[in-house]
Order: sequence, then C-alpha cells, then structure tokens
Amino acid sequence: MERRRFLKTAGAAAAVTALARPALAQAATVRWWYHFDNPQNSPAQLVAKFEKENPGIKIQAEPIPWGGGNDYQTRLFAAIVAGNAPDAAMVRLSWAARFQQMRALEPLDAMIANWAGKSDIADNIWKINRGADGKQYYLPLQYVVIYLYYRADMFQQAGLQPPKTFEEFRAAAKALTKDGVAGFGMRGGAGGFDNWGPFVLGGGASFEKGGMTSEKAIAANRWYVNLMREDKVVPASAPTDSFRQIVDAFKAGRTAMAIHHVGSAAEIVGALGDKVSATPVPRAADGKGWTYFGDESNAVFAASKAKEAAFKWITFLSTAENNMELNKLTGQLPITTSAQAQWTGHPKRFVEASTASIPIAASLPDSPKTPDFISRVWPTNMQRALLGEIPPEEMMKAIEQNFHG
Amino acid sequence: MTVAVRQRPDWTPYYFLLPAILITAAVVLFPVAQTIWLSLFNYVIYDPDGSQFVGFGNFAAVFRDEVFWISLRHSVVWIVGVVGLQFLLGLIAALILNESFWWRGLARALVVIPWALPSVIIGLMWTWMYDFNVGVINDALLRLGVISAPIAWLARPDTALGAIMLGLVWQGFPFFAVTILAGLQTVPAELYEAAEIDGATRWKRFTNVTLPAIGDVIATALLLRTIWVANSLDVILVMTGGGPGYATYTLPLYAFQRAYSGMEFGYGAALALVLTALLLAVVWLYVKRASRELER
Repeated sequence: MERRRFLKTAGAAAAVTALARPALAQAATVRWWYHFDNPQNSPAQLVAKFEKENPGIKIQAEPIPWGGGNDYQTRLFAAIVAGNAPDAAMVRLSWAARFQQMRALEPLDAMIANWAGKSDIADNIWKINRGADGKQYYLPLQYVVIYLYYRADMFQQAGLQPPKTFEEFRAAAKALTKDGVAGFGMRGGAGGFDNWGPFVLGGGASFEKGGMTSEKAIAANRWYVNLMREDKVVPASAPTDSFRQIVDAFKAGRTAMAIHHVGSAAEIVGALGDKVSATPVPRAADGKGWTYFGDESNAVFAASKAKEAAFKWITFLSTAENNMELNKLTGQLPITTSAQAQWTGHPKRFVEASTASIPIAASLPDSPKTPDFISRVWPTNMQRALLGEIPPEEMMKAIEQNFHG
Repeated sequence: MTVAVRQRPDWTPYYFLLPAILITAAVVLFPVAQTIWLSLFNYVIYDPDGSQFVGFGNFAAVFRDEVFWISLRHSVVWIVGVVGLQFLLGLIAALILNESFWWRGLARALVVIPWALPSVIIGLMWTWMYDFNVGVINDALLRLGVISAPIAWLARPDTALGAIMLGLVWQGFPFFAVTILAGLQTVPAELYEAAEIDGATRWKRFTNVTLPAIGDVIATALLLRTIWVANSLDVILVMTGGGPGYATYTLPLYAFQRAYSGMEFGYGAALALVLTALLLAVVWLYVKRASRELER
C-alpha cells in the first residue's frame, strides 16, 4: 500500500473506532526468514492463525536453505549488507557478535517488558540469550541439547552400561567395535564440533585465551584424535562424515554410538525402535562436562520498517500453544515452560536425556570468529589431525589462533 | 557541407553499440572493478567500519599463505585431469556415435544426460555412490573381490580429489562428445574415400584426415572447458566442502571459503583475482582463436 493512502486509511480507522490499535502495527507486512530440517513442513497454519488474530499484519514467511548453518548465515549477512534483510529471522547465538558489530539488530527490552508471555520462558534461558551489552536482542524460540545415542541391545549383549565417563566410553567403543560395526560414529565433517566438544572442552579445553593450548586441552584433543588413530573405534569415513552419514550409519547398525540431538530421534526410532536409547554425553574423570546447547531464537532487524508487527509475530511463535505447534514442524524442543510440561513430540527417553544434559550445556563463544571456527577452522584442522597430517596440538594452536590471533 | 556529411557516419555505429556497451559495463566491468577495489582493503563484511586500505597487502598475504599454494597445486591437477579425461572420453564417444548402428539416435540422446543434470544432483549422487557404509561402489568392489574392506573414498586424502574428479569427468564428457561429433559431421566423405584409395589404414585416416579437420573444434572446446572447469566448485562443495583437511581445496573453493565463511571479502577478492590472472592466459588464447574465426 502506498504510504500516503496507508496513512489516510489508518487515520480514518483511528478516527472511527476507539479500539484502533497503534497505526504502525496495522497494515504492515512482516518478512520472516526461517528454516526447518524437514523442508516439506510449512508454517502456513501458524501464519493463518496469526493473521486472523492480527488483521492488518501480513506475514511473508520465506524458507531459507540451512546447509549446515553456512548457507543460511551467508544469505542473511549478505542480505543485511545489501540492505535487503527481512524484518525478522530465526537466528543463532553464535552469530550474535557479528550482528552486534554491524548493529544489525533491534533491542527488544522495552517490548519484552510489556509482553505477557515473558514469564513462561525460564530465567536462565533469557540469560543465555542476552547480548554482550546486556540488552536483549534474541527472543528464544526452541532448543536442543547434544546427547549420546546408544544401541541398548548391543550394550546389553556385551554386558555394558551406558558410559558415564570418557574412559567408560572408550572401553565400550572398543568392546563394540567388531564384525563391521564401529563403536562410535564420529562426526568429523561439517557441524562435528558438537561431537568433539564434549570430550575436548569437557576434558579441560576452553575458549579463553590460552585455553586451547594448555597441557590438559592438548591431552584431551590427543585422546579424541586417538579414538580414530590408535583405538580405531570409528568408521574410516569419520573425517568427512556429517549429519546424514552418521545418522544413516547408526540407523543401518554400522555404529553402536552416535552424538546428536533430539532432532533426529524420530528418524532413528523409525529405523531402530526400542533398540536405541539416549543418555547425556560422558564426562571427564574430574566430573567436568560440556555439551552443546543448540539454541534458536527470533530477532528483529534494526532496519525493519515494521518492528512492532515483527515483534508481535515472533512473540506469537514463542507463546506456549504456538510454540508447541512450531516445534512439531522443526522437531526441536519448545522453549516455553508450559509447553515443555505437556510435550509429547518425542519419545520420553530422548526428552529426558536432553533435560538431563542441561546442567553441562553451553553455547559457543560470543565472538565474530565463531562462525568461521564452525565452518572452516574446526573441520579442516580436525580432519588433518584425524588423518595424521598434523599432530593434535597443531589443531589446538589453529583454534587458539582463530580466536586470539 | 561535405565535412558534416563525413562526420556523421563516424559516430553512428557507436550509438548502436552503446546499449551493448552499457549493459556489459553494468554486468561485467562494474563488478570486476569492484572486486579489484575490494582486494585493496582488509574488508570484513561484518565489520564494514573497520575496513582499511592495505594496498597490495592482501596479495602479499596470498603468496605467503600455505593454503593458497596447496589450493593452486590441486587446481592444476584438477584442470589437467578433468579436462584431459573429459576430452579423451568425449573423443572416443564422438567417434563411436559417428559410426552407424541401428540405435545411434537413442545413444546420442542418452549420452547428453550427465551434461543435462544439475551439478548439485551430480555431487549428491556421487557422494552416495562413494559412501563408506551404504555406497554402491564399495559394495560392487567387495562382491567382485577387488577389495576386502570398504574404502572411505571421500575421507582419504589420497583418493578424495580423484574421486570427485571422476564425477566431474562423467558430467562433462558429453560436452566434448557433442561438440566433436558436430565437427566430425562436417568432414567430407570424399577425403576418407581418397585416403582409403591411397591405402591409408584406419589409424592413418584418423591422424591424417579426421584430426586436422576437427582441430579447430577441439581447440575451442578445450579452451572453453578449461575456463569452466577451473572456475567450478559446486561439485566439490557438495561432495567434501574441501575436505578432508585441505585435500580437495581448489583456488575458487578457497576464495569462496574465505569470503563466505570468514566473511573476509577483501582477501577473498584478492584470491579470486589471482585465479583470474592465471586464467587470462587461457582466455587470451580463446579470444585470439575466436577473432581469427570471425575474420575468416
């Protein structure tokens, strides 16, 4: 609608009805970028419901290919630079620092303060998602936590318990590696930092300055690399195996353990039924542990001309009932406390493994270097270390270099 | 008066050329100029305010960069291997398709299929064929007794690049087959008859009649294909993303990674320009040939 005509209509509407909503929230179109793991799922029903409740706001939901996170991220940043960003989009914490540096996001504090659904999201989740400057740019939407899938039947046959420590994990992997089965379906390709983190970050490495090159960190990384080089408990394809490969190998019974989150539970149970279960990732001997908190939020862009409408839409998605509907489409876990209580979207044992993992769950550092760590620095160096092209300490130096120069 | 008449035709052709020149400037010259400009800055896309002029600093860094040299070496292997094999396979296919047999029409249609498939599909298809656990290639080799344990083709640095190249050879040979076949059909049958009367063997007829006759077609196809193959990174990106380690990094892939993963557009632009400079030699040869053909 042309601006002048819009203003006239809005003015007329305000004049004739005392119940008129703020003019800016009306007759707005909100462009929203999203990605679902299953591209056949569509948010059309949620959009229809929202538009019915909020006449005057049109939602233009645009699915963007995910590509392990890289494709989505590239397009989003390119769109921001080109001045063609959407009004709102699904975002990850690991991009927060880059957004911050570009001043691309709109702080939501004032609007959140007046939002009724605020208390239905746990305080610690608000805290994890807070910006480095203390402002709230992210409106939490859903989450997953990385845990350990294991073949309950194979463990039982071998007389093993699900591993609680690194050494128990290694012993189990060794015992189960036989007859064409590998004990652990390690992910060395795109996104595999979430397989590496539990053992290396849990084993004493950290993203603080010098945290990757400490003696303990290097020893932890050597231990992890040796799962392939010396213990030989992972498939030979591990260096380039990514999501699809680890899930398919696990489903085909070629691996006995795999590390992923609840997002793949339905698919894995579809193939293995009761033979598969899950447990939090193992911890170090000193009880320390680390697992990846896979966050997903919505944010409103500073350049948007429909900020209030965009905020309405993203709060709609983070409100109990709608949040639950959305998570049925994404296969992740609802962020709202009330939706979590009645969640039946996944078999119980996987939800329990997820919630039991929360105490050790953390996100990656809030640094503009984090995306490059995920998509380039980590995979190339991990793969070279796994193949013996560089010693494990060389890999840790490269990661240290990426974050601290 | 005569002067005015003489002057007008001097400008008229340029008015006609103007739309083409403007469009070329907008879609080719402007982006090239912008890339050159970008390559002189340490421009990082998420930090536009921190961008500084560094002159040829990016280029100096490129030549000190270990990964650049690894990528360059792989690019050479990639171009020579892929184009060479595509050409050989294409030539053989064209010679066969030029013979007459009853299902030739069908064969000519079938051979184009790999060329018609999108690169992303080719990449995914070959990825699954090479798969360690469920791939058809390992399965077939195991059944034939050629290997005793499955091979992780795409996860081994000694096989990954070759494995991807094979996929691309398969995709690209129809281009040569079709182009060379078209060339073959322009060779007059009388030449073969004359050669046969002179007692030339099949091989002699091939080297002395066929090859000289289609030499121009082959040269043009080789040059064009070299440029395309040198620039192509889609199949590598889909199949390994450059891994394992740097085993399948080529120059365009490295430039892409630095630009889109690191968002270092300045450095990425410098890498891309180095590749362009190397390719200009090939382009120059191509343009020279093309203009010669135009004059004929």
